[in-house]
Amino acid sequence: MDPNDEIAELEYEIALLRKKLHEKESKLIQLKGQCQVALDFFVDVEEPSTSGSSVSSSSQPQEVVRKVVKLPSWAITRYSRQIILPEIGVSGQAKLCVSKVLVVGVGGLGCPAAMYLAGAGVGQIGLVDYDTVDLTNLHRQVLHLERDQDISKVESAADKLRSINSNIKVVTYNVQLNSKNAEEIANGYHLVLDCTDNIPSRYLLNDLCVFLKIPLISGSALKMDGQLSIYGYKAPLTRDSTYQYRGPCYRCVFPKPPPPETIGSCSAQGVAGPVPGIIGTLQALEAIKYLTDISNEKLLVGRLLIFDGEDMTVRITSLRPRNSKCAVCSKKPTIRALGDYEAFCKTSAREQELELDILPEKRRITATYLNRMLTDNLSKNGPPIVIDVRSEGEFRMCRIEGSLSSPKEKFGQVQMEKVSKLLKSRNNEIVFICRRGNDSQIVVRQLLDGVDRMYHDRLYDVIGGLHQWAKQVDPDFPIY
Amino acid sequence: MCALKIDLLFGGGAELLFDKIKKRQVELPPLNKYFSDAKKTEWTIREFIVWIKDNLLREREELFIQGDSVRPGILVLVNDSDWELCGELDYQLQNNDCIMFISTLHGG
Ligand SMILES: [Zn+2]
Repeated sequence: MDPNDEIAELEYEIALLRKKLHEKESKLIQLKGQCQVALDFFVDVEEPSTSGSSVSSSSQPQEVVRKVVKLPSWAITRYSRQIILPEIGVSGQAKLCVSKVLVVGVGGLGCPAAMYLAGAGVGQIGLVDYDTVDLTNLHRQVLHLERDQDISKVESAADKLRSINSNIKVVTYNVQLNSKNAEEIANGYHLVLDCTDNIPSRYLLNDLCVFLKIPLISGSALKMDGQLSIYGYKAPLTRDSTYQYRGPCYRCVFPKPPPPETIGSCSAQGVAGPVPGIIGTLQALEAIKYLTDISNEKLLVGRLLIFDGEDMTVRITSLRPRNSKCAVCSKKPTIRALGDYEAFCKTSAREQELELDILPEKRRITATYLNRMLTDNLSKNGPPIVIDVRSEGEFRMCRIEGSLSSPKEKFGQVQMEKVSKLLKSRNNEIVFICRRGNDSQIVVRQLLDGVDRMYHDRLYDVIGGLHQWAKQVDPDFPIY
Repeated sequence: MCALKIDLLFGGGAELLFDKIKKRQVELPPLNKYFSDAKKTEWTIREFIVWIKDNLLREREELFIQGDSVRPGILVLVNDSDWELCGELDYQLQNNDCIMFISTLHGG
């Protein structure tokens, strides 16, 4: 038998078995859920008092009050390795078991964070993500497997979390978090982990957490760098103190969003898998510490952790205190409801797939036509010069044979002059290309505005960039 | 007054605007030697940002500077503390200070 056929047959059989297994597992979870909801595995020791008179309720850190429960023996065995720690202990574990944590973003940060929270026995984990699993996610999004491609990230992650711990409740929200649905989704959670990948979501989550009076553990990662801090923290009020420590919120530290052109993304600039792994893992650690009522001096509150994986340095820096004039967390806030964060940040919360159209039609050619220009000698002036405006790293990864590199990021006066010289000294057409056909248009636009009109009809842009090249011309060209 | 030695650090991607060099030591002359119209010798971060723009920033200064300060999304740290804790632009540089410009990240 042809080994390729055998592989295909095995893959098919395995997929069928998996489907069957998944159905049975879902049924099991459903039945288990009917018998006992995870949080109710635990017997109440006492009802949380709302008057604030009992010892237990005054030690509660937040206004969303957690039940006080007695751990059954299976739980003591299961979580014994962390219960042994004096920092956690039986009481800390009991708190974890009735805590609800919302993880927003189930990618490079959210996967490891959620794994450790599930392992630690956090009673309810909510997962929010609108996206589906893509092959390019797998180097860092460790809850997703090859077989999960194209299925929803929250379902893929929930599946694995339930296998790690069937004694917790996992709730999935397969939506894009926005100002309309955020409050309803986050209601009842004790803590939010910001594992998102964009700036509007970061401001949205900050304001949401300030309104709900719960802290936000905010992680981020790009390339070889990671950052982490806890925003909007409020120390528990104790009976004998009137002073309540409050840490800064995200807006206290970053009142204005960065200009959109300065914002990087993992898909455009890359990320080393273990970097979000480290930051997400630290988010889980801070979450466990917070939920077990460890004091704010020991939490990353009012401090920012800066991880540089290239030099392997970690800096812990002191942030400014809470801003008494903060737009959202001060006594007289100017923001009292969730707003339009995409407008505020002038950028989209989803991975941008914008399609620019800023060139005259004549200046735009298809990938098929570029291929003809390169191979069929269409012009008496010889084949065109192809200039690739993606980053150096992307150019090294894959390129059209014979193309030259001139990254758009660095495309300034010097590069303009180089192209001008090329136009003057030679008669070839010059074709600009990028990944999706947006940056190349920006560069050609810059040139049309900058070089003599007589050269304009020798400048071209490839519609849809290398993605279209892969579709129309070279099926072996990697799409990324 | 002799030259002021400053450890200048860039991180979080801000180094891309400065030849990808994350760490360097710079020496600053007395302020009135650098800005002939200055009436004092001491540097504050306000003048230091201008010095950085003049001496280190190659192009696209809008990715680093806005007005007379750094753009939103760049955090300035003076000896590992948020510069707001020590006077922001008016902080007077001391010999051997470590000044870091860190770009905030949003990926995940
Ligand atoms: Zn604030």
